[in-house]
Amino acid sequence: MSLAGFILLAIGAALLIIAAWGVIKLPDALSRQHAATKAGTLALALVLLGAWLLMPTVEWGWRLAVILGFLLATLPVASHLLARAAVVEAGMEEQIRNAPLVGDDPR
Amino acid sequence: MMTLGIGILVAGATVAAVVASIRIIAGPTDADRVVALDIFLAAAIALAVAASLGTGRTVFLDVAIGLALVGFVATIGWARLVQRSPRSKTPPENES
Repeated sequence: MSLAGFILLAIGAALLIIAAWGVIKLPDALSRQHAATKAGTLALALVLLGAWLLMPTVEWGWRLAVILGFLLATLPVASHLLARAAVVEAGMEEQIRNAPLVGDDPR
Repeated sequence: MMTLGIGILVAGATVAAVVASIRIIAGPTDADRVVALDIFLAAAIALAVAASLGTGRTVFLDVAIGLALVGFVATIGWARLVQRSPRSKTPPENES
């Protein structure tokens, strides 16, 4: 149990560094935001799960579950609004409007 | 084992925060800076969990809950601000 928690904490810390590295390395705001949100959410989920495996009691469990549930509920909304703001700021509205949607006939 | 795990977590969160602060300083657009703030939020939550594991107290988990709440509202607020602020290349439309 302790070893599994330790491994999850280590993977979470490594993923957090990878997310930050993606924010540095990727070329534009949209891809940076994709790296930060997805990798950051997975890293935090692994860290919270590892913390619960290290301290498997009820009062730790519900607090960690509240944090994780709240992050999973709010981070997609926040990242969506942030992506829209990035598109507007880069002046790419026309490009986005003409982009093919899922389900369109391929031309 | 536990101490080593907490150390790895603290080191990872600190390195992530340092790397993200480079993007905050350098970032060409404001959206990049807000994205780097997201990394800061994740690092702060990870550090709160590490403090909680280190001391064995659940108070710091309550801090992490508060951080998650405040960070969400802050990201939405910054996103609205970035979206509404006038762009530099085109003049802003008439807002009544």
